[in-house]
Parts: sequence; C-alpha cells; structure tokens
Amino acid sequence: MTRSFDLSRTVLAAVAALLAAMIALPVGWLLVVSLTAKDGGVTLANFVALFTDPTFVDPLITTLIIACSVSAICCLVAAPLGWLVARTDMPFARTIRMLVMASLVTPPFVGAIAWEMLAAPNSGLLNQLWRLLSGMPPDEALFDIYSLGGLIFVISCYTFPYVFILVANALDRMPGELEDASSMLGARTWQTARLITVPLALPTLLAGALVAFLQALNLFGSPAILAIPAGFHTLTTRIWSLFQFPPKPELAAAASVPLLVLTVVLLRAQAMALGRRGYAVLGGKYGAPRPIRLGLLRVPAVALALFVLAMPLFLPYAALFNSAFSRVASRIVGPETITLHNVKFTFLELSSTMPALKNTFLLATASATLGALLALMIAYIVARKAVRGYRALGFLATAPLAIPGIVLGVGLFLAYTRPPLALYGTLWILLIAFVTIELPAAYQQLGSAFHAVHPELEEAGRMLGATRLRTLADITAPLLRSAVIATWCFIFVATIRELSAAVILFTSETKVLSVLIFDLKESGDVGAIAVLSLTMVAITTVVIAAANRLHARPQSRPA
Amino acid sequence: MASVELKGLSKHYGAAVAVDDVSLRVEHGQLVCLLGPSGCGKTTTLRLIAGFIEPSSGEIQVGGKVLSSSSRTVPPEGRKMSMIFQSYALWPHMTVAENVAYGLKIRKLDRATIESKLKAILSTARLEALAERYPGELSGGQQQRVSLARALVVEPETLLLDEPLSNLDANLREEMRFEIRRLHDQYRYTTVYVTHDQAEAMTTADLIAVMNKGRVEQLGPPEEIYGRPRSEFVARFIGGSNVLGATALDESRVSVAGGVLRTTGRTLVAGRSVAVSVRQHEIGLGLQSPSAETENRLRGVVTRQVFLGATRDYTVTLDDGTELRVTTPPGQNITPGQSVWLHLPAEQCRALAEE
Repeated sequence: MTRSFDLSRTVLAAVAALLAAMIALPVGWLLVVSLTAKDGGVTLANFVALFTDPTFVDPLITTLIIACSVSAICCLVAAPLGWLVARTDMPFARTIRMLVMASLVTPPFVGAIAWEMLAAPNSGLLNQLWRLLSGMPPDEALFDIYSLGGLIFVISCYTFPYVFILVANALDRMPGELEDASSMLGARTWQTARLITVPLALPTLLAGALVAFLQALNLFGSPAILAIPAGFHTLTTRIWSLFQFPPKPELAAAASVPLLVLTVVLLRAQAMALGRRGYAVLGGKYGAPRPIRLGLLRVPAVALALFVLAMPLFLPYAALFNSAFSRVASRIVGPETITLHNVKFTFLELSSTMPALKNTFLLATASATLGALLALMIAYIVARKAVRGYRALGFLATAPLAIPGIVLGVGLFLAYTRPPLALYGTLWILLIAFVTIELPAAYQQLGSAFHAVHPELEEAGRMLGATRLRTLADITAPLLRSAVIATWCFIFVATIRELSAAVILFTSETKVLSVLIFDLKESGDVGAIAVLSLTMVAITTVVIAAANRLHARPQSRPA
Repeated sequence: MASVELKGLSKHYGAAVAVDDVSLRVEHGQLVCLLGPSGCGKTTTLRLIAGFIEPSSGEIQVGGKVLSSSSRTVPPEGRKMSMIFQSYALWPHMTVAENVAYGLKIRKLDRATIESKLKAILSTARLEALAERYPGELSGGQQQRVSLARALVVEPETLLLDEPLSNLDANLREEMRFEIRRLHDQYRYTTVYVTHDQAEAMTTADLIAVMNKGRVEQLGPPEEIYGRPRSEFVARFIGGSNVLGATALDESRVSVAGGVLRTTGRTLVAGRSVAVSVRQHEIGLGLQSPSAETENRLRGVVTRQVFLGATRDYTVTLDDGTELRVTTPPGQNITPGQSVWLHLPAEQCRALAEE
C-alpha cells in the first residue's frame, strides 16, 4: 500500500482499542472474577459449586434438554415447510415465506407473554375455549404453558423461522441441473428428492439445528417468563437470579463460563457444517429448479403451512390485540366491550412509559449510528486490506457472536462497576452492550456489501487522479449507501428488542422498553404489557419496511 | 507522453515470487504487450506500473522520473496514467457521460472544456447516443468502449490495459482488437497491454514481452517472437511448434530419431543435448522417398489425420516413438497407417536456448 493513508496507524489503534474495551475487558473480568475467592486469592471453588450444587446442575441439565428439543422440533417443522415453499407448486408459497419471516419481528419474550395469555392454565383463552366446548370444570386445563413442554413449544415457535430461512435459501440456490441430471438418468421425482435434494440440503439443516440450539441455549426472556412461575430455572435465568438481592457476581461469572464455551464450540461446528456446502458457491450458469407438482396434496400442504404459522403469528397476535383493547385480558373483546383504556393508561398514566421510550429511542439511535460507523470502518479496512493487522480486526468484530447477551451483560457489569470507568448506572454501559452485541451482524452485512463493490471500481477512480478519500466519497459511498442504511435500521431494531443484556445492566434511571415490559410482568398489568409489546412490534415493523424499500431500490434504471 | 522503463523489477509475497527481476523499456508512443499464461506475473507487473503495489526491489521510471522503488511509490492518482480494467470497472451509479467526465472533473477543468472534450471522445468512441444511459443498460462491447473513452479522455501519459477483451465474445473481440490498434495509432500513447491471447498480442503490439514464472522470456517485435523463439516455452506458447529432444553432432547438426537435422539459431557444442523447434505447417510430408539428399529427412508412420477445412492436421510417429504434428494443404490425403517421409527445412529447425 502507498503511504498516502497517513492516518492508518492511528485509525487502526483507535478501532483496536475500542474493540478491546468492548470485548476483551468484559470477557477478561468475567474469567478473573470467576477464578477469584472472597479473600482475593485464586480459587476453583466457584466452579466446584457450579458442578456440585443442585441449584446449578439442574438448570444446566434443563437448559440442555430444552436446547436439544427445540433444535429437533425446529428441524422437523422447518425442513418440510422450507421444501414446500422453495421446491413445490404449493399455492401462496411467496406469502407463506413472507409470513414466516415476518414472525421473526416478534421479540421472543413478547411471544412468550402472548402465549401466557393464550395458554395459562386458568385464564388462558385457549383453555377457556376448551372448557366452554367440553363442559369441563374451571380447574381443568388442556394446556399448561408454565411447564417444560410449554417453554420448549414457545421457544420453538420463535426459533424455527431461522432454520426455515436457511433451508429455503439453500434450496433456492441449489442448481436445477443437479436434479435434472438425476431425472435424465431415470430417477422419479421422489427418488430425486430423496437421493439428490435431501443429501445436498443436509449440511444446511445441520447448521440450522445448531442455530436453533444456540438460540435456545442463550435465550433469557422466554424462560424468565415461563420457567420461573413453573418453579424451575434455565442457565440464563439462574445467572440473572444471582444478580437479585443479595448479588453473587462471582457465581454468576462462573455460571457464564460454560455458556460461553458451549457457544464458541457450537459456532465452530456450525461454520464447519456450512463450509462443506460446496454447491452454493459454484459459479456458472444454472437453470432455476423445476417445481415439484403436488397435485391433490396442494390443499393439505397449505393447510399445514397455515397451521404452523398460527403458532408464532396468528394466535399470539390475536391474544395481544385482545388484551390491549379489553378491560379484562382474559375475556374475548367484543364490539361493546372494546376500550382504549389500556392505551390511555399506558401512555398517559404509567409514569415509567415515557422515560423508557425516550431511553430506548436514544439508545437505539446512538447504537445504530455508532455500530454502523464502526462496522463500516472495519469492513473497509478488512475488505481493502488497508492496514497491516486487518485480519485481527475482522476477527475481533465477529467475536461478540460467541458471547451470549446475558454473559456479555455480566462481563460488562464486572468491568464497568469499578474505576477507572464506573459506567454502571449510566446509558453508556447499555450503549456499549448494544453496539457490541450487534457489531458482528452489522460487520458481516457491510463486509458482503464491500464484496459486491469490485475493487477495480475504486482503482479506476485512483487511475483517473482521485485520491483515496475522494474515491471513497465519489464511488464507494454512493454504492454502499443503501447497505449502510439497511445496517443502521437492523441495529436500531435489534437494540429496541434486546432484553438479556439490558436486564442485567439497567438501573431505575436507565430502564428501556424491553425491561419495562419485563418488569410490568411482576405487577401483572396485562393490558399495559400488551400495548407496549404491540408498540415495540409496530416500531420494528415500520423500520424494517423502510429499510426493505430502500434496499430494494435499484442502483440504475431498468433497461 | 514519455517512455516507461522497468529496471530489475521484483515483487515477492513472502517466499512466493510474483515478478522476478524484470527489465523492460517501452519507448514513447510504443505499444508493448505482456503476454503469458495465467500466473506468469504479467498482471502483477501492470499493477506495479499503475502504483497499486510497491516493488520489493528494482524501480519504475516514466520519462526519466522514478515513480516506484522499494522505498518510495507515487500513488496511482499522481502518475498521469489511465487504465482499462478487465471488469471495465464502470461505476454503476453514474451515467456513461458521468463516468467518462469523472477524470476531467477531478482535474478541475472548467465546464465548457469538459463539455467539449466529452463530446469529442464520445463521438470518437461512437457513444453519443448512449451518453445518458447507465452501465447496466449497455452491452459488453458498449461497456468496453465507455471504459476506453473514460481512460483516453484525460489524455494520459501512459495507458495500461489489463486483459481488456477477455469478457467479450469471439467476434466482438476481433473487432475490438483492431479498434484498440486504431485508437493507438490515432493518439500514440505509451501503452502497456496485458493479455494471455497471442492473436490479440500479434494484432495490437509493437513489441511483445513473453512472460513465464515472473520473468520476461523473450522481448521482441511479433515477427521475431514468432519466427525466432529463443526458448522451448516461447516456441510452445506462440503458435503450434513441435519441440524435439536431440543430441548435437557438431556446431549446427543434431541427431534425432535416427536422422540428422541441420539447425539454425545458435552455435551448438558437440555431444550436448539440445531442444529443436519446428512449426507444424513448415514440415513437408510425402509418400515418396526423397532424392539422394538425406539430411533433414525423417521417416515415420501416420497415426492420425483430421480434416479441418482449410488444412489437414496429421500426427506422425517417428521410429523412436516421437510424435510430430504436421499441418498440410487439404488436398493431400494420406490415410493412417501409411509410411511417410518428412522434410524439416534447415532454416526452420531452430535450436533453442538451454533451459
């Protein structure tokens, strides 16, 4: 590289220091504290307690059971659904694909609250309906959402879309010729599906299973809402409980370590599973795959898809709207009973709503701006190999992927409750947490955007006499604009719905929307919870829609 | 405009050597082709000239000024060069006119000058009608012409071309070869042109530098490269050549497959092994035993024959198993299995340099 990029060393040092403060410091303190005894000496006592005390061992086992079950259920649901949508002539396939992806807009803890409204043993709407139809006495219940099974079900509802997207996209990209070649050799449609399509999609499904496992492993909201009333803990809720009075941060630190290690190992496994997916990266001109004709099975296929969609989407939203506009959440709202009472109460009377909304918007805007800028800088440095050591930067930017939100929360708590940076109790610590959590995805998005901008486009500018900075402004920036805006929106949305780190790091002055909803659970104000949840989903939807519209706008006029 | 001179230019990436001690002088207004297979270092050499990378050792001078050395490299924007990229690198968010005028705007020319220069180059490149289109709306050939126009409009001292025709289909490629040569004759920029296609190099270049493994194997005008290859690599890479393993008998004669060939090219040392190249279409093929003359005649059996329309392509196996490819006029039809005599004229048998 030429010497004209004089700032390179300074920039590199600044970015590296920032990343270290965001990642190395919390993880470092986490490890140090977990190995420190009360008197300051080095000890393994915290880990001994972790693996002998039943109040730690049971949550660990429960968490593994949940993660395995969720992973299996997600694959069983997502694989057939993904195949139906991507490879068959099922009617409304595009709509169904869109709706599955739309169900991801729901924050998992909002989904859990909605399912409480639907399937709590007494007040649950589905249980009431069942009692009405069967004439059972009021203490009988068909569903009990406060159970291990209920928890697994709810987590699966909001995890299977991830697996679905992976599988459907992989099936989309699979060259049609691979199946045609099998047909030419005499294989029937179903033989081809079994011998060619499924084996080619298997690595993706394996990766999907690992994604689901990780999601279930590190989720805090749903277990906190459903497992604690049921009288059991998962690893994440147990870590959180150690921050309740009297706080035991050293045990929380120790309990975070297995979560961290497991996540790192599983991410490695996932990268390996996806790395073997060789067919996706092959170049050349391939035809689009021919859809498989379902014939008479078309109607049952749509019915199945709609039934699956009812679980994360139709039923929960029906319950949320019902609670938001009804005086009593456990009654179905009718034309006479519909009321705006809950909306008024939430926005006008509830004193914590406005500060929480203000904090949320402030944090989301700051995190999105800071995160997008940081990701842009790192993506540029890595994509154009602008300074020595660019590889290390790329690695650091992806590293937070391996740190579960709650673990990062614990780490940041430990790192920033002590001098010189006593940030605990301020919005800064939440800002650091959110930027750190969203950095990997933002960096990956912008990194692939840089990949799409051929380096020769920049070199052509340099050859015509433009400096590096001028080239960035004239050529790179306009080409990346929509990607940067999309990344900004992505971080904004993700920050609004973040709960697991926020729940460790918030104080009464720095409450955000997600924490407010979680807190209202204690007071049992279902109407306000429903209104706030719908508000959060509405904001999210609007921002995502705006980002999509921008992203879809073509770079040049159509031919 | 100025001459371009590379002096002992090398580029290492760790232990890997991409460019190895290349020295080359391109005179003012000359067009030099760097020709070689992929991985031979030609593109790295071009990017060194452009200033995108720094040399590990050696230097690059343009018009007597040092632009690149291992200690100091003038950045690309300071070199008064233009480059045509393999991908064309047209900016998708700018129209044809905006793409072409970009370099003029960077040079802070006034609006009227930009307008007139833009108009002139668009008409030379036959692009007037497309000025307001976006690159995504153009065909490959049109994109190529835009990239030429964008590079030429700034009147560079040096023009660099990186495999500019490799993304075009065969007909268009042939047309653009002549187009590039025509524009070169019109503007006479000192030009360095990188390609792996020998026909492209033959049509466009004043001088060809054949590159292999980071080195220049031979530098010369197209006729010389074709007619007098100095190494086995050049002989094989340029045109179809048979390369025979032989043993020198004296200063000019060698023994091969039981026969004796008189060769040209260099003075031989008796007893040494030597490689001899003969082009396919310079070998005579006949059924009859030739006259008393025995030198430069070899016996063989036709093992394969293909009719190619304008020519026939024979494979002849000599007594010791060596296979020779021979191209003859289409009228001469000899079926496989027949014995033939080959005539390899002495002036076409070139003894190659020892590797």
